[in-house]
Amino acid sequence: MKQCIACGMPMKNPEDFAMGDTRKDYCRYCCRPDGTMQSYEEKLISLTNFIVKTQGLEERAASSAAKSMMVKLPAWKTESSISNN
Amino acid sequence: MLETKRQKQKQLTRSHLIEIAIKQFGETGITTTRTTDIAKAANVAHGTIFLHFPKQEDLLVAVIEEFGNRIAKRLQELVDSNSSLLEVLKAHIAGLIEFEPFYTRLIIERRLLPAMARDTYIMIQSTISIHIAIAAEKEIKLGIIREIPMHLLFNTWIGLIHYYLTNGDLFCSSGSILKKYCHELLQHYIKLITIGPKYKEVD
Repeated sequence: MKQCIACGMPMKNPEDFAMGDTRKDYCRYCCRPDGTMQSYEEKLISLTNFIVKTQGLEERAASSAAKSMMVKLPAWKTESSISNN
Repeated sequence: MLETKRQKQKQLTRSHLIEIAIKQFGETGITTTRTTDIAKAANVAHGTIFLHFPKQEDLLVAVIEEFGNRIAKRLQELVDSNSSLLEVLKAHIAGLIEFEPFYTRLIIERRLLPAMARDTYIMIQSTISIHIAIAAEKEIKLGIIREIPMHLLFNTWIGLIHYYLTNGDLFCSSGSILKKYCHELLQHYIKLITIGPKYKEVD
């Protein structure tokens, strides 16, 4: 099973993929309305907001966890090392 | 060929060390367990641990990640996008029971752990909260459960589980606390969030 390169979500069904396109390496939650993949900054904001919404954490703690998760994902390895320097 | 065999052996030793560390951390605590204790329990030389995990923190993060991967896998096996909230919660408990001693230490000692380990813990809770949120949002729309903000729905559930786990000595002198109380806790929580007559007994 493919995993989204930008958030790590397992993509089981076609509808899990960006625009329902199983050739894509990223999921429906990581694409923009036009089907292109979100940028590092966009993803960091949406992931942080997601953690705040589902766990109620303070934004700072949520953002730190989101960065730490993104560093491990194939899509963000380079961006993460740049943003950490 | 030789290299592949060596790599395979290396991977096996690494997995073995993680396995032993999960057990050891559960038994003697995450911050209090020494690497020498893990080496002894794993039957390897002390230096072997540092070949695989140069810093003690690396081993700890690897252990938390392994726990997170397995609990995520368990949830994926047991639930899908059509699962009810009750099914998701049952799967969550089933996953936690497999790692109960380690998870208990993790939540008790979390604030004392390095930042990397604390962040990994949040990501694990995030995976669980995704499944809970998907099921809950659907059931709120259907009028089965109350309109409770996602974070409070999640934190109320986690708070209940964690209270029993962190005070385990007061609830259960031996064996699994979650096994002993899962039915009662599930039933109570579901009743709490469900709108009146739609409440169904938890089997």
